[in-house]
Amino acid sequence: MEIWAKGSFWSRVRSFGRAAMGRTRVEEGMAEEMRFHMEERAADLERGGLSAAEARRRARVEFGWVEGHKDGVRQALGLRWLDELKADLRYAARMLRRSKGFTAVAVGSLALGIGANTMIFTVTKGVLLDRLAVERPRELRLFSIRMAEEGSPIHRFSGSFGPAPGGGTQTSSFSYPAYELLREQNRSHPVMEDLIAFREMGNRLTLTMDGHAGVASAELVSGNLYQQLGVTPQLGRAIRPSDDTPAAGLVAVISDGLWSRMFGRSTNVLGKTIGLNLIPVTIVGVNPPGFTGAGSVQSSPDVFLAFGAQPQVFPMRGSGLTGGPAESNSALGDKGFWWMQIVGRARAGVSDEQIRAAMAVWLDQDIRATLKIDKDTQMPKLVVRDGSRGMARAGENYAKPIYVLTGMTAFVLLLACANLANLLLARSAARQREMSVRLALGASRGRVLRQVMTESLLLSSLGGLAGLALGYFGRNLIPHLLSSSWQPTELNTAFDWRIFLFTAGVSVLTGVIFGLAPTWQATRAEVNAGLKSASAGATRRRSGLGGKAIVVFQIALSMVLVVGAGLFTRTLVNLNSAELGFDPNRMMLFAIQAPASRYAAPLDVRLHERLEERIARVPGVESVTLTEEPLLANSMSNTDFFPTDQPKPQGKAAYSDVNGVGRTFFTTYRIPIREGRGFTSTDTATSPRVAVINETLARRFYGDRNPVGRSFSNGTGPDDHTYQIVGVAADAKYDQLRDAPPATFYPMYAQQNEEQEMTYAVKVRAGAGDVMPGVRAAVAEIDKDLPLRDVRTQKEQIEATIVEERLFATLTAMFGVLALTLACIGIYGLMAYSVARRTNEIGVRMALGARSEQVLRMVLGESSWLAVAGLGLGLAGAVGLGRLVRSMLYGLEPHDWRTLAGSATVLLAVAVGAALGPARRASRIDPIQALRHE
Amino acid sequence: MELMQGTLDMLILKAVSLGPLHGYGVLLRIQQISGEQLEIQQGSLYPALARLEHQGWIASEWGESENKRRAKFYSLTATGRKQLQVEATKWTRMAELVAGILKTTREEL
Repeated sequence: MEIWAKGSFWSRVRSFGRAAMGRTRVEEGMAEEMRFHMEERAADLERGGLSAAEARRRARVEFGWVEGHKDGVRQALGLRWLDELKADLRYAARMLRRSKGFTAVAVGSLALGIGANTMIFTVTKGVLLDRLAVERPRELRLFSIRMAEEGSPIHRFSGSFGPAPGGGTQTSSFSYPAYELLREQNRSHPVMEDLIAFREMGNRLTLTMDGHAGVASAELVSGNLYQQLGVTPQLGRAIRPSDDTPAAGLVAVISDGLWSRMFGRSTNVLGKTIGLNLIPVTIVGVNPPGFTGAGSVQSSPDVFLAFGAQPQVFPMRGSGLTGGPAESNSALGDKGFWWMQIVGRARAGVSDEQIRAAMAVWLDQDIRATLKIDKDTQMPKLVVRDGSRGMARAGENYAKPIYVLTGMTAFVLLLACANLANLLLARSAARQREMSVRLALGASRGRVLRQVMTESLLLSSLGGLAGLALGYFGRNLIPHLLSSSWQPTELNTAFDWRIFLFTAGVSVLTGVIFGLAPTWQATRAEVNAGLKSASAGATRRRSGLGGKAIVVFQIALSMVLVVGAGLFTRTLVNLNSAELGFDPNRMMLFAIQAPASRYAAPLDVRLHERLEERIARVPGVESVTLTEEPLLANSMSNTDFFPTDQPKPQGKAAYSDVNGVGRTFFTTYRIPIREGRGFTSTDTATSPRVAVINETLARRFYGDRNPVGRSFSNGTGPDDHTYQIVGVAADAKYDQLRDAPPATFYPMYAQQNEEQEMTYAVKVRAGAGDVMPGVRAAVAEIDKDLPLRDVRTQKEQIEATIVEERLFATLTAMFGVLALTLACIGIYGLMAYSVARRTNEIGVRMALGARSEQVLRMVLGESSWLAVAGLGLGLAGAVGLGRLVRSMLYGLEPHDWRTLAGSATVLLAVAVGAALGPARRASRIDPIQALRHE
Repeated sequence: MELMQGTLDMLILKAVSLGPLHGYGVLLRIQQISGEQLEIQQGSLYPALARLEHQGWIASEWGESENKRRAKFYSLTATGRKQLQVEATKWTRMAELVAGILKTTREEL
């Protein structure tokens, strides 16, 4: 029987397809066949002795109702369904065309709702769903280590950290020797395919070509990466294992993006030599367009180099931070420096737990053999993670904002749905009579339901189509809002079939949701009652309650959205007016990196001193200072702080933030010195080391005592020093706008052993205009191969750190306005409809002596009650949901009464305002006319 | 005798199993083999034919009738033949069962 069903299923599909395609052929064939039948029958009857006319009549009688049988054939072929759908669609289209205003409002609000959802989903997909463009990305596993808060044997890290679930911290950084050892072990007892190493080097590479200097991002990869990931360059060759040796020539594979940007997609790029941090490197290949490296799904680094290139292109004296073998520039042999990532393919049939168990043993052995272990040491734990989305940093950073935005857009869409349900409900009540007529004429209930659903789905499809267009053109709005002038956002918003599917799904869902109410009402249509109650009775039937409930729901939803808009807008306002502790006006920032190949330490420090001195003489420059970390850029350094005249403090208290600065830092940034002095010309590279501390630090370590003249050390390592405190500066924000100024000390950069990259802060004289051409010329005068990186103003820099808050304020404000508009339409629609239905009743009231202001008050009172009920509900919802966004707010609590009261007032005003028109109309009803009115 | 519900399809399959027929021919064949005993609403043959063809049990082809007119001829397909067998077996068993029940006497209980 199984085979049977299957066979006949395909035969049915084929038959339906044939019939639906060749519709006229089917109809003609059917007619001809039946005519033939009746004529043959008539001929037979005539031969039996009947007259020709009588024979024809008998044949027709015996055959039966021709049209009925034809319909039977159509139904048998599955064509009935198609015909009905066509008729429904035609009818629905006619209905929509007839009420153009309604259709415009419906499609418009749906388009906004669905468009907003599509826009957010595009970002969600890029951040949370997209996988690396490599072969079989699901097989990839990324390794991390989890460390306890105290007692980790690994002290020198570079890379991103995160809190581990269940305490401690987690990072995906390993040392190169650890990678080599794990790879070796895995080769003899395989639990994975060959292990791959990579490290994204960020946007920190100076790229020189034909005398032109620019900035590029890079990724270091192990020689086996391309082959293991199954990535083939679109041009030239990949990086091979043989490239990954110190002796090999330096070669690079460039991204599709860089190929377009710098080489105009010319095939001559192969074999071309470019300077990377002033080291000549030969381009041997161009990556395929979709490939973004092993670390990120969002955007591709510009240049891919083998790890063997690190000592030359990215020299790390003392492994970048402190300590380590100072004679070498290589991090590849440094067992103590954990800075690169390990990824690999799981072997078929090996579970993640088996992989973890085997690798954990090897890693443990390695750490015990190479690092200092004592009795307090807490060994790090190995973690095996999904590697198909790279390090998924964007996911970590944006997951929460995305969930909140998704929630809000879902609310907006729900609001649009509620609005439509309401409008359709009012219409379907008006169409009660039509439904009754159709039922009376023999339409089945299912048929009527299908008709109503078809209309809703047609509306929602139109809205979905417009929403898709809106989402497509608006897909770059969020990345645009998130990016700043000097650094593009790493968000991939490629449009693909999944977005189309999502939008289509959402459209159908909304159509069903807002179609439900009118459909339900249509089923309740009683043929008799419907036909009889054609004239609006003086008493209102219960059917109005559905509409009221929907309006209350709408107001509640709007309240939540408006409160959200209020909270995020006030957060932005609070952040913008936060006390900085320094003057950000007329301040230009840029970074200059001294390439180690040309300026080996301490020449780099001298270079920065020369540049500082030269830039200070540029016309229009009031003063210039350097900082190791730019202010308010989400980056900071910290270090030990041990006052020499106190016992060593324990735990966190022993830390202080630190920022190495230029001599004129405090005057340039207008940070007042409270005690002692700032830096002067007597503080030089060779004089004793001095530092200025801020008030918070002074309070924490010295209490009421005057710290000036005392000294401290920043650790006990060979590269750590003792500093004398010469002054106390007022508190100023460092890395974050949100936090109070942290305890910070400022040493002079000129007294440091090495400073590769520094941020220059140039205070421009008032009215001096653009000083940057002069500054560029001054820098080029000293070294023409030094690009100015990330040129921006200090204010732009501050803006960039609150770009997420700005995005939220902008989007939620948009949603809030949208919500108010939709609520307004909803209330107006309901009240206008209610007044129209009650014309008769109001006429009676007025005839009995009600004054027009009493009628006005009655209608306004009704809408106010709806609003108050909705506001109460919305208030509860807003307070409940507000807790979820507490961490995203600044300077106010989620239940901030001013925001709540303000939102409630606005909504109440909107509710009353929307009802004003219908209320006026009601109050002007002429009793005589109203009573005559049917 | 009026046709029992659901038996028309089987009769059509049987009729065309004896050779390709046009619609009117199917009617004649059924009447002929039933000894003119069955009354069939003639027009209802066509939805039934369409249904069977839709299922893939019979196939149709335009051809020429005995008196040289264009007509649509139906013939049994391979799956149609199997279906006819299944239906026939089912029907025979049913008929025997019902007959057995009806013949039951008090003594046999």
